[in-house]
Amino acid sequence: MKNTLRQVFHSSKFLVGFIIFLLILLTMWVYPFLNPGNPLEMIGVGTFARPGTYFSLYDAVNTPAETLRLSDADDKRVAASMSMEDRVAMVEWFTLAEVDIEGLDINDTDALLDLWFANYDSSLKLKGMTNAKKNYYKRLDRSIREIRAADTFTLMHPDEDSGELVKRSDISKTDYINVGQVTNVKRLPLGTDNFGRDVLKELVSATGTSIVIGLIAGIVATFIGLSLGLLAGYVGGFLDDIIMFITNIFTVIPSFVLLILISYSIGQDQRGASVVAIVIGFTSWTWTARSVRSQVISLRNRDHVNLSKLSGHSLVRIILTDILPYIASYVVMAFILQVSSGILSEAQLSLLGLGPKTTEVPTLGLMMNWAMLYSAHTNGSWWAYFPVILTITFISFSLNLMNTGLDQVFNPTLRD
Amino acid sequence: MGNVILEVRDLKTKYVTRFHEDVFAVDGVSFKIEEGKSLGVAGESGCGKSTLALSLMGYYFPPLHYISGDIIIDGKNISGLDPDAVRKTVLGKEIAYIPQAAMNALNPTQKIIRFVEDVIRAHEPKADKKEIRSRAEARFAELGLPREVLDKHAVELSGGMKQRTVIAVSTILSPKVLIADEPSSALDVTSQKMVIKMMRELMEKGYIKSMLFITHELPLLYDVTDDIMVMYAGQIVEKGTAKEMVFDPIHPYSHGLMGSILVPEEGTRGTTLTAIPGTPPNLKKPPQGCRFAERCRYAKDECRYHAIVERPFGEGRSYRCLIGVDQLREVYEHE
Amino acid sequence: MKGYRKYFGKKILWFFITLIAAVILNFILPRLMPADPVSAITGKMASGMTDASAVQEIYKRYEAEFGTNKPLLQQFFIFVKNLFHGDLGTSFSQYPRKVSNIISSAIVWTICLQLPAILVGWLLGNLLGALAAYIRKGFDKVLLPVALFLSNVPAFGMAVTLLVIFAVKLKIAPIAGGYAFDMIPNMSWRFMKSVISHYQLPFWSIVLVSIGGQAVGMRSMSIYELNADYVKYARFLGIKDRKIVGYVFRNAMLPQVTGLALSIGTMIGGALVAEIIFSYPGLGSTMYSAVTAADYPLISATTLIITIMVLIVTFLLDIIYGFIDPRVKAAQFDA
Repeated sequence: MKNTLRQVFHSSKFLVGFIIFLLILLTMWVYPFLNPGNPLEMIGVGTFARPGTYFSLYDAVNTPAETLRLSDADDKRVAASMSMEDRVAMVEWFTLAEVDIEGLDINDTDALLDLWFANYDSSLKLKGMTNAKKNYYKRLDRSIREIRAADTFTLMHPDEDSGELVKRSDISKTDYINVGQVTNVKRLPLGTDNFGRDVLKELVSATGTSIVIGLIAGIVATFIGLSLGLLAGYVGGFLDDIIMFITNIFTVIPSFVLLILISYSIGQDQRGASVVAIVIGFTSWTWTARSVRSQVISLRNRDHVNLSKLSGHSLVRIILTDILPYIASYVVMAFILQVSSGILSEAQLSLLGLGPKTTEVPTLGLMMNWAMLYSAHTNGSWWAYFPVILTITFISFSLNLMNTGLDQVFNPTLRD
Repeated sequence: MGNVILEVRDLKTKYVTRFHEDVFAVDGVSFKIEEGKSLGVAGESGCGKSTLALSLMGYYFPPLHYISGDIIIDGKNISGLDPDAVRKTVLGKEIAYIPQAAMNALNPTQKIIRFVEDVIRAHEPKADKKEIRSRAEARFAELGLPREVLDKHAVELSGGMKQRTVIAVSTILSPKVLIADEPSSALDVTSQKMVIKMMRELMEKGYIKSMLFITHELPLLYDVTDDIMVMYAGQIVEKGTAKEMVFDPIHPYSHGLMGSILVPEEGTRGTTLTAIPGTPPNLKKPPQGCRFAERCRYAKDECRYHAIVERPFGEGRSYRCLIGVDQLREVYEHE
Repeated sequence: MKGYRKYFGKKILWFFITLIAAVILNFILPRLMPADPVSAITGKMASGMTDASAVQEIYKRYEAEFGTNKPLLQQFFIFVKNLFHGDLGTSFSQYPRKVSNIISSAIVWTICLQLPAILVGWLLGNLLGALAAYIRKGFDKVLLPVALFLSNVPAFGMAVTLLVIFAVKLKIAPIAGGYAFDMIPNMSWRFMKSVISHYQLPFWSIVLVSIGGQAVGMRSMSIYELNADYVKYARFLGIKDRKIVGYVFRNAMLPQVTGLALSIGTMIGGALVAEIIFSYPGLGSTMYSAVTAADYPLISATTLIITIMVLIVTFLLDIIYGFIDPRVKAAQFDA
């Protein structure tokens, strides 16, 4: 046993898969301590807030400011305010005004502005320039100049008695506050989803639920497959025929279809995460049953099994001590694959709208489903779905790597 | 002395394991086979006899690697040739091989005739399909194989038939040397007999000129081959005629090996069978002295430190031991 | 030919047995469940109604419409009889459109998308797997982890990723549908062009997903075959490596056909979900809209059609396999 384990951990594939899986599990365990609370709490009012650090504007105003004179602050402000269209329009103007733009980089704000201030003249009449376009350039010029002009915002608040606005403070362009001193700061590394929920918190919780679904599905499938395989293989005869008949039928009929039919029939209200998991397990045992059966048949007439039979050991004891240890590796491998396919099945069911009911817990599939329902993929909110896809892929990749590693240890012909 | 067909001089080859360790499986083997003669190789499993068979082909692919030595077939040294030249001019044509597991030696999804075509065309690229078929049919008929076999897949043939087909295909180009690695050990008795009969026919009809026969079944060697050599831990420990080797083995290992078998000859009744205790040495680090010393009942201290060379004695015999021939014979007498 | 007849006979028998089982399951599973689809539909239709007798009235009407007021066995015979007439009932969400009508327009899209995509993915995957096994060093080191990773990207994940990259960001492919939304299906060149451009992303996402798994399987199968005894034997007969590699890949490919038959159900399942992402007008999207609209007859019919499709493909693959692998024929003689 110890030796086998050492061999297993010597397989680089198994080790890599194991480490990835362990890291995922570790994150699931540690993250809730760092960011406690209900993962389905809707903290945002809008949909799909971008990933980043959010700090309260209200608190920021009340935080004492330091004056910092940064030479490039204005340029940055201008650069940020100028869209690509503005830049292209400026280049168009230069071309019309026959300004030499040789070697000009459209992304180089400094060079662009220098050229602009040196040459722009709103009174200049250019060929083919419509009035609307002309006004557009005027507006552009004004807005750029405004940003560059030394300006302060004045903060007012209504007086309690008279209702008149009273000046409270000025905010100058050179005022900076330390983010660490702002009272309310919220980090949303993956933004929020369509319901305004913290995606990272939700993702961690969903990963946990999905892995549990995979595990339950795997346990159910392995239990059914193992029992049927053992019975068919060890008892043989008529029982074997019947079990194999059923197994063969369920091998050909796609489990995906059965899953849909059963999930739909159960109905939305009864469909908790564990029910979905059990249903998945019920539809994916055939492979285990087949491989266990063929292994048991080859073991059935081995000497040590015959010896046990002659010694009058009970069926249960023979199966537990003389058969199970020999097929354990296959069962473990089948179990790992079933966990991974269980997670995938849940995701696909949820995408069809047949996933666990939505009010209790998030699952990876449900997150995917919500993101798709709210068109996260077409409106550029990658943070709502891409981490989900990546998580599913990594879980399944790590499980499959472990499986391949085990396969190479237990089937030496496949070794490189 | 007849015309020497196969001469091997101090051949050394090694396996390289996954962990880049060298295993010296054939370590300085020399012997000769004359025209019309067959030589048997005996030894425990793992002694290097199958590796010797592979090494003699002059065509090495990982994990087997050539180190040094000469393989001379009918006067032509093939050990210096480049692999492609060996493949084209030697393999199948000069020297042919019958593998240990003939059950799986044929591609299961290919018709036998297609395989025969591939074999012949590898050496005669212009050979015409019809001509190949007639050649194959003629040869199969000569060897007593039904011609229908040619149009079957390997999976459709019985074990014995598969092995005979392998032998017929291996020798279709009438090679000078045939190397048979346990060609009959996996078969039932009847098929075994037919295979042996076929090997004899090959020699009698001149389709092969000499044969190296490897087996762990000593009685079979005595039956089939003219000479026998005994291999231990990658080296030859004793050579002689079949009769001499069975009835007068000199080396303690051959003596032990022969003692562990029954030969259906008069006078053997009543002798007890003995097994040799212990296991062969690790060939990753072969011992410096006699390789058999650890298991030898007669070993002295010096056996473990002296490198031991093959010593000739009698008529063309040789053995690899420090103790004198007469001394050993005397010891065996008194047991 | 006798062996083939037995094999095909067995396969045809199995096809019908599984077909019957599938029909029974499709009928019985929803009826075994505690929630009754008719009451679910009634509940939806009657939401807001306070008059219990009116609700009862609606329930009765749907019971009659779906025939659920009759005994189970009688319902089953009606179900089968209707099935033979191609009558799959009336859609609930697209009332009064016939379910068979909805499905027959969707099934063409699904078959035209999935069949070529899965086949191309299978072929490319096998080719890459074989290359990885043959070239090994370097190529294998890079390709294998990539293929392993790729094979674990769920089909819908690949679909979303491709959609975002090529349709949303690069804008070189349309975002959704089987053809431009402002067109009416016809045989014009303009329509075909639109169909082809909408076809690309769903097609390649299915191809990419199937490549990975196939490549990994083919690689280990090829490595297994490269170590087979017949490879060594053929080499020792002087057959060129290129020819031997041909044997190996043919033999490694055969189990991949069976593998495809076993995994086709899962692959189609994944591809159906990918259809939803692209709003492709196939069975996947039909099923999705049926689920969202709680259109019970449509769901039941879609699952049945998908099962039958999978059964037919599996059956055809079994038949093809019987022809290309001589071992099948031989096994029938043994049995």
